[in-house]
Amino acid sequence: MNGAAPYSLRRRLVWLLTGTVAAIWLLSALLVYQRAHHQADVLLDAQLTQVADTLLAIVAGGEVEHFVEELHESSRHNPVPVAYEVWHSKHGKWQRLVTSTGHSGFVSGVAPGFSEHLHLGARWRFYAVQDEDAEYRVVVGQAHAARAGLAREIGLSLLIPAGLALPLMALAIWGAVGRSLRPVETLARQVSALDARALAPLDESPALPKEIAPLRAALNALIRRVTEAFDNERRFTADAAHELRTPLAALKVQAQVALRAQTADSQQHALAQVIAGVDRMTHLVEQLLTLARVDPARREIAPPLDPAEIIASVCAELLPQARRQGQSLTADAAPGCTIAVTAAWLQIALRNLVDNALRYAGEGARIEVRLARSGSDCVITVADDGPGVAPALRSQLSARFVRGEVEGEGCGLGLSIVARIATLSQAKLELSDGLPRADGGYGFAATLRFSSTSSQTRSDPAG
Amino acid sequence: MRILLVEDDRMLGDGLQAGLTQAGYAVDWLRDGEAAVAALSTETFAAVVLDLGLPKRDGLSVLQWLRGRHDATPVLILTARDQLEDKVRGLDLGADDYVLKPFDLDEIAARLRALERRAHGRPEPVLAVGEIELNPAARTVTRAGQAVELTPREFDLLQVLLQNADHVLTRRALEEQLYTWNEAVDSNALEVHVHHLRRKLGNELIRTVRGVGYMASSTSAPA
Repeated sequence: MNGAAPYSLRRRLVWLLTGTVAAIWLLSALLVYQRAHHQADVLLDAQLTQVADTLLAIVAGGEVEHFVEELHESSRHNPVPVAYEVWHSKHGKWQRLVTSTGHSGFVSGVAPGFSEHLHLGARWRFYAVQDEDAEYRVVVGQAHAARAGLAREIGLSLLIPAGLALPLMALAIWGAVGRSLRPVETLARQVSALDARALAPLDESPALPKEIAPLRAALNALIRRVTEAFDNERRFTADAAHELRTPLAALKVQAQVALRAQTADSQQHALAQVIAGVDRMTHLVEQLLTLARVDPARREIAPPLDPAEIIASVCAELLPQARRQGQSLTADAAPGCTIAVTAAWLQIALRNLVDNALRYAGEGARIEVRLARSGSDCVITVADDGPGVAPALRSQLSARFVRGEVEGEGCGLGLSIVARIATLSQAKLELSDGLPRADGGYGFAATLRFSSTSSQTRSDPAG
Repeated sequence: MRILLVEDDRMLGDGLQAGLTQAGYAVDWLRDGEAAVAALSTETFAAVVLDLGLPKRDGLSVLQWLRGRHDATPVLILTARDQLEDKVRGLDLGADDYVLKPFDLDEIAARLRALERRAHGRPEPVLAVGEIELNPAARTVTRAGQAVELTPREFDLLQVLLQNADHVLTRRALEEQLYTWNEAVDSNALEVHVHHLRRKLGNELIRTVRGVGYMASSTSAPA
């Protein structure tokens, strides 16, 4: 809604269509008029020559007086369409001999052939012809208006029905457009009837025209996506509540056991469990908050960065924990990798991957963080030589609250967080075999594959 | 009373085992569904406390398997799932009770006592044979109205015998119901406990069925 005044599609279509038709009609009338004018010229010029030639033949035949009388007589009943004059030359001097009725004399000295002159304030076309001895000359003339009138009549005969038809056409278009837009109104009614709290796709059974069906399909696709996101969030809240119940139950039970313990040993044990339980819940709550913080809305436009420094800082942060558990944690970062990722997110993802390895690889395990280039990609791998994860189970690991088969104090959110960051950063999270173990098996490895900034153009969002 | 606890969460399992042991139960604790099925197929428990979200085999699947072999062992479900359909499904699959996490230890113990009572077809909470009365909730025993001091093991043995009054219980059945896997059982421990019980409650109550086992009997006349 940018404030532009809404316009009526129907009115616009009526104006556009009738306007176009009217213009086409007008143009064709104009063309017809010109063509008719030209035809009239040819026709009337032929008439002029014919009349002139006939008159000349009669005049030259020497029956001038008789003919003139007859002509006058007959033209009283059948008016000749042209005006004429007959001139006679005597001793080199031209004399008007005859003039058609109702005409004062033409301009004198009309040269033989076609010519146009002003006559009685209007444009006239003349044709003059004389006999071989230059004794008689006949001039016929016709007002130009006659020709234009003829052409105009033909042109108008085309315009008048158009003028009558146009309003009818506008009315028909008005009705047809209204009818055609009815599905849009129906669709609008369906959409406005949607309940935001319980979104359901629009009923696809009413048939829609091909032009509007994509709108409904797109709306339904959007509704499904939104519903899925809603459901996801709702499920997450339910899952989170469930996940909080078990540690809460453990806390309560351990506290009750401590209260009733009859030996100092069992009381100590139960109290230690209570403290460990609080630590565990703290971790769970922190992870939940982290997951909430990795929100697309909070994403910063990331300048390309070299992950080596972040890898080093995460390893430094977690090294004391590794030492306590007798584990070795090493980082091997090749220089020259730049990726576009929000620095804070990469840090969260890496910390979770390394923390997972520390939790689940077991005491004395070897954990390696590697940064390498692979083609145009930058690849960060966290690998361990712990018990590993069966390939069948790997695909489930990034779901929320799913833990591996191995004993650990995790809450099952670490890989969900990493997977979410990967999706939002257009990276790929791959789970695979890790480092080789002494017994011939393999540990677990998680790989984040970022397309390097140089080839960002072809990357597309994964979600 | 020996019960099987199936709970994958280490801290909760540890607490429940300790708490229910304090309440007088012999608790065996397993952490996945497969192990629970293996244990239930070979041994008898007075009741099973079953978590639903278990690794390897889901709790409901364990329950279904148990009822599928016509095993009527009382099952109490512990779960974080509070949806009504989850409860209905659990109960319809043959669970006897359903407790939502987090819960109170006392409530679990009370519900387990109720389950045992119902399993033995007794409506009243106190077990009574002759002039002996045993209160499982208070863990007290009286003889003709007079309180009798028993050790926890003696109490448990007496409870099993009274619950199965007028039925002969084999030594193996008694041991199975009294001892967890972690406890070493002396070969003559049972005899010692029976001896002590007879000393405290009189000789008529517990009869030895030679070559078979023991029986608590309300008819005081020995054969």
